[in-house]
Order: sequence, then structure tokens, then C-alpha cells
Amino acid sequence: MKPAEASLPSETDVLVKRSFDAPVKLVWRAYMEPELMRRWCGGHPGWSMPVCEMDMRVGGRYRWRWRSDEDGQEFGFTGEVLEVDLHERIVHTQIFDPGELGVSMGGEQSIITVTFDESDGITNVATMIRFASKSDRDDALATGMTDGMEVSYTRLDKLLTEV
Amino acid sequence: MRRDIFQAIADPTRRGIIALIALQAMTPNALAENFDTTRQAISKHLQILTECELVVREQKGREIYYSLEIEKMKEIDEWLEQYRLIWEGKFKQLDELLAELKEQEK
Repeated sequence: MKPAEASLPSETDVLVKRSFDAPVKLVWRAYMEPELMRRWCGGHPGWSMPVCEMDMRVGGRYRWRWRSDEDGQEFGFTGEVLEVDLHERIVHTQIFDPGELGVSMGGEQSIITVTFDESDGITNVATMIRFASKSDRDDALATGMTDGMEVSYTRLDKLLTEV
Repeated sequence: MRRDIFQAIADPTRRGIIALIALQAMTPNALAENFDTTRQAISKHLQILTECELVVREQKGREIYYSLEIEKMKEIDEWLEQYRLIWEGKFKQLDELLAELKEQEK
């Protein structure tokens, strides 16, 4: 599959697109079932995902937390489910919980809209992240995430050595 | 008012202007021919792009030419690229998971 594309469609938004070689019903499960979500969002070397709770019904809440093996520091995301259209769309809020890492990623909640579209067995997934303000978005893009997402860089380093 | 590069690219006409002057320096009049808008509106967009330090002005004879500050554009790319790579890391793991789920269904 082609690598993810990211763009900035407006002042407060970030759009991430990616296609997957699987029918939508399987991709949907990977987004809706906590034990599957943990498999693809939690597998960063050096970090565990001690909390992956998801009640993916409208009005339900989810909580994701990661913990560093090295020093036990934690951070995470939490939010509420706003809309669920089977195999088509999930809308939820998201707020960054810095835990003890002490980094800011914008205090206000963002709204995440994930849309799914299958054709010929390929599922296109578009993730729109709408931040509360332009400055929240730019913070997330520019500085905050470089600390909070150190996790993913470790994973990335590993990926790059595999290529 | 302080402006920055993200503000510059938030508007579709400004993105169009950026795409055009990335290829060659252009005058406001030449730019205006490419858009369904007034010369004044284009000047306003160019002013914002100038304040964002994304374009440079150069006087040639009686005309002012605008060209793109490529280095400044790279800042946006670099930020977005980091963000993209983080997502791609997760998505690669999702690829593996989906392959496994497909196998189980057989």
C-alpha cells in the first residue's frame, strides 16, 4: 500500500489518508475492538499499552495510555464517541493526557472523524483531525508531539532499519 | 499582527499562488489572470504571503515580481512529514494485523 499522506485542508485541520489491502469490515474491527486496536497502536518497542478501554457506542468513552518500560512514565488520549455509522464513519473527541511527561499538546479537545470507503477489496481510510484552534494544531504539529511521540520515533527507527 | 506559514497555506487562492510562483517569478497582473478574482484580491493575498515571509518581491523596471521562498516552504513540509511518519508507523502495524485477520477468515 502507498504510504500515508498528510495535508492541511484548513487552519484548524490535519487530514491523514491511507489505503489498506483488506475489506472494510476487517479494517472497521481493527478500529472498534480494543484487543485489535492494542495490536496496532500499542506495539512500540520500549513502551507498553497498559490501558486500552473502548466503548465505541455513541456517548461511550475510550481511554488509551502508554507506559515507558524504561522509567514508567505514562501519557495517553481519552475522548467520547459522537457518531458511529457502521463501516462508514466514526466521529469522536480526543484530548491529550500528558501524564507525567509534562508536555502540552493543546489543552482543548480535538474532533476526529474517520471515514472508511471500500472499493475492490481495498479500504481507503481518511482521518480528519480538527483542533480547537489553529494554535492548538500548530503546537501539535510543531513542538508538543515531538516529545509526546518519542514513542513513535523509536518505532520509526526500527522501521527504517528494516527497509 | 503576526502571521505565520500555516496561515499562508490555509486559503485555496494562496495555495494556487504558491503553486504558480514556485515555477517562476510572476507579477500580480499575470497572477490575477489565473484566478477568477480581482487584481486587488490577489494583491491582498500577496501581502499576506509577504508578511508570512513565504514570498519575496523584486522590482524589475516598472514591474514587481513575486517569487517563492522555498526554504520557508520546507518548514511546513518538515513538520507535516514528522506527523505523517508517526501515522505511517501505526498503519504499517495495521497492515500486518489486517493480513492476519484475512488469513483467519479463509
